Amino acid sequence: MSVINGINGWAGTILRVNLTTGSITKEDTLPKYRPYIGGMGIGYKVIWDEVPLDTDPLSEAAKAVFAVGPLTASGVPCSGRMTISFLSCWSKGYSILDAHMGGHIAHAFKYAGYDAMIVEGKSDHPVYIRIEDDKVSIEDATDLWGKGTFEVNRTLAEKNGPEFDVASIGPAGENLVHMSNIVTSFGNSGGAGIGALLGSKMVKGIAVRGTGAVKIARPMEVRLLSNYMIKDLVGGNNNHTVPCHAQSWSEYVATNNRWQGAPGITWDKAPHGPIDSGEQPSGVINVAAYRCNKGVFDFGEVAEKYTVKQGGCSSCPVRCYTEYEMDPLAEYDLPTHVSNTCMPIIKMLDWYPDHVDENGEKVKSTHDFVDAGDAKMILGGAGSRAADEYGVWCNYGNLYEDFKMAYTTGVLKDVIDRLNPGEWDEIPWDLMETGDPRWLWEVYRRIAMKEGIFSDFGLGTYELYEKWGLDDPEKNIAGVSFYDFVNANNFNIGHNGYPRHHGPENCWQAGTLYSMMYNRDCMIHHMINVVSSGAPYNEIVKPVMEHWFGEGCVDPQQHYTPINENKIKVAKWAFNGKQWHDSATLCNWMYPMTIATSKKRDYIGDLDLDAKYMSAVVGEDYTREDLEFDSERISQLLRVMTAISFKLNLGSTNLRKDHDNVSDWVFDKQPDFKPFEEGTVKLDREDWEKSLDLWYDAMGWDRETGIPTRATLEKFDLADAADKLEELGLI
Amino acid sequence: MADKKRFLDRDYTRRQFLKLSGKSLAGVAISASMLNAMGVTADAVAEDKVRVWAFPQGLLVVNPDRCVGCQRCEINCTLTNDGCCSSYISRVKVTRNLTYSRNGQGLYTEDTWTYFPDTCRQCETPACGEACPMQAIYADENGVRRVDTEKCVGCGACTQACPWHMPTVNPVTHKSSKCIMCGACAEGCPSGALSIVPWDRIVSASQAI
Repeated sequence: MSVINGINGWAGTILRVNLTTGSITKEDTLPKYRPYIGGMGIGYKVIWDEVPLDTDPLSEAAKAVFAVGPLTASGVPCSGRMTISFLSCWSKGYSILDAHMGGHIAHAFKYAGYDAMIVEGKSDHPVYIRIEDDKVSIEDATDLWGKGTFEVNRTLAEKNGPEFDVASIGPAGENLVHMSNIVTSFGNSGGAGIGALLGSKMVKGIAVRGTGAVKIARPMEVRLLSNYMIKDLVGGNNNHTVPCHAQSWSEYVATNNRWQGAPGITWDKAPHGPIDSGEQPSGVINVAAYRCNKGVFDFGEVAEKYTVKQGGCSSCPVRCYTEYEMDPLAEYDLPTHVSNTCMPIIKMLDWYPDHVDENGEKVKSTHDFVDAGDAKMILGGAGSRAADEYGVWCNYGNLYEDFKMAYTTGVLKDVIDRLNPGEWDEIPWDLMETGDPRWLWEVYRRIAMKEGIFSDFGLGTYELYEKWGLDDPEKNIAGVSFYDFVNANNFNIGHNGYPRHHGPENCWQAGTLYSMMYNRDCMIHHMINVVSSGAPYNEIVKPVMEHWFGEGCVDPQQHYTPINENKIKVAKWAFNGKQWHDSATLCNWMYPMTIATSKKRDYIGDLDLDAKYMSAVVGEDYTREDLEFDSERISQLLRVMTAISFKLNLGSTNLRKDHDNVSDWVFDKQPDFKPFEEGTVKLDREDWEKSLDLWYDAMGWDRETGIPTRATLEKFDLADAADKLEELGLI
Repeated sequence: MADKKRFLDRDYTRRQFLKLSGKSLAGVAISASMLNAMGVTADAVAEDKVRVWAFPQGLLVVNPDRCVGCQRCEINCTLTNDGCCSSYISRVKVTRNLTYSRNGQGLYTEDTWTYFPDTCRQCETPACGEACPMQAIYADENGVRRVDTEKCVGCGACTQACPWHMPTVNPVTHKSSKCIMCGACAEGCPSGALSIVPWDRIVSASQAI
């Protein structure tokens, strides 16, 4: 039956599934969770209230909160994401974090009538959770245990019916591999170790069908706002607003960005002949899906040859998942049917570092398949499919970087030979050395099945470095700290086990600040979307950003300036804004609409658009400030939970020292440059310390410890959090 | 064949298109200018993958190759006609083809990315209307078949009778949500998989040499 609870925006109901007792109960979303918006906010509040922060993340007492928000499935473009919040089993401090997945399951879940599902307890046999509107059940999944996610998702969809959407974990999650995910749609996944958490509870997957509706206060306003957004504001993926191939209507042309569609750029393998992207002028809705063409951005024009379509998530006009048939993989008896985007598909060459041949010569390990330069794409296709099949998460690329650094420094062989003599010779290195795509299936299988020391990469960076002595120059044969040393493959932003996500290299101090604030990579795109939009710096980027945040808030790429108050405003806008997006839920790869495609708007975006959507959907007047305030409540809770986890699990009382400490390479790279010179983005230590001071001031945190003050927390009605900090001696 | 060719190339009238509405175009020779106007390839027409429907606003063209699965057609349909956002009661249906369709296609199969929007065929002899025990489905002055919500009792006979199960009874209002050819789905389609080619453009294309 349809579920409309009479509330605009929110579904109104939270589902609680207890796997130990088998009980399935429902509770009201509102009013309790309204101050936390939805999605990430609900998830963090549930964990805060119900899960002590020293709980073993893979124990029966641990919980996972699957949640969507008031804008999910409201008709608002790019509202197809689901946030899953839980305690980390792999990053330093073992604190709160979340996984996020797109695809189509968030819409199905909301239509079924739920804002969130709390999964708790532990089953004694493999199960999946079946949701069909108000009929919810725990079903046996014994026959699915051990199987890959593609087969499981296909089986669950076929078994339950055409309108069901599904998601599942792979063998990696079942085997409690930290670097594990849950996979939905095709290649859409939420990572951060959610696979291991669900595996520990013996939950193989979920299947959802919703015949209900999301009630909207002013539906035509939502439609008109959506049309306005797609016409005047939206460009390609990451909201890159200037096409990178000349189009007759466009004043500017970008050098390279995620708006690759253009006349002559085709979907070559469309079933009935190539489809040309054509021109996609600002102001026209019906061509928006041709703008991105992520495959061409990821791999160059060779991607056209294998492109069937461009996929993505529910409600989104910007299609960032190129869907391929990569024929050359058939020769290796591997699936040719692949789709993914960004990190899971673009960096597979890292698994093929140069090797030394029998003559002692350094030799390239990869080769072209059919066309010049197609190895990155073909291996990307193979690797993304293998990773998703086994349910392995890449930690935003750190998995590959850890392997490549360990291999190229000789540490990998040394460790394996010391800890498990004989294993090295059993590994089929010839597959790597010959650029064989089956190597990728081999490495992901080893990681997922926890086979040998090699599979320690699945522990995640933090525990891997600790176990292998990579965090201490005196404990490994390379004589370096992998967190700190200057190496082209070093992605670590700090010492917590996760990398930067558009940090100092794109967004200077602001990018570094928010890259440090979470317990996984930050996944904040507010600034990268602006600086890489393709819009010229002096004519558009600088005036538009200064229009919003004041003078000096932004710098040209590769020529940044010392910290100032307006840059801190930008960092805070991005940090709180990310919480808003993962709570609303809106896609942070697209929002906020900072720069526009429209010349008649002087390319100025609309930062109030999110509030306009909230007002139209919920039927109450929201301002941008209202949303930022509620979002900052979630930011504060994140910080409090991080502080408590660090205290309980590590004995730390100082986040500035123990959580926010940036890797040395960020300051030490490019020795021929000084900070602030044109041509470098290396940070300056003194400027960074000043940045932290200003940041803590802006967030209302103690300068010495980086922990929120009582006054700050009380401002956000978080007195209970202040009490807990006080009880632990943290404030 | 000669007659069919002339049919689409010149002497065009909307009435003639109404005769083709919802039927196969395979075997119909279509000029390059008309293919261009419709945004489809000759191969797709020859393989019977393109459907057209004559709407008051123009010719609705459905091209599965262009469908990107974003579901904005369902969203705009329900925002416009139901005042809410839903997939199940949408008059255009893509979700049921997107994940695992009745044909065994969709994202959870190894099929070649086949998913597309189903639309109401606006049948000349509508099974939905014929089956309705309340005679609630009627044709308006434009020939669009609508549901008289005063008469509709939500029995679902229209859903069952339609070979494609396009009408859906709204579980909240208990009224059928049959397509009324409003065009919101095509207007908001970001890939042109659903497009309404205005009649004046069809006329121009039909007269082009």
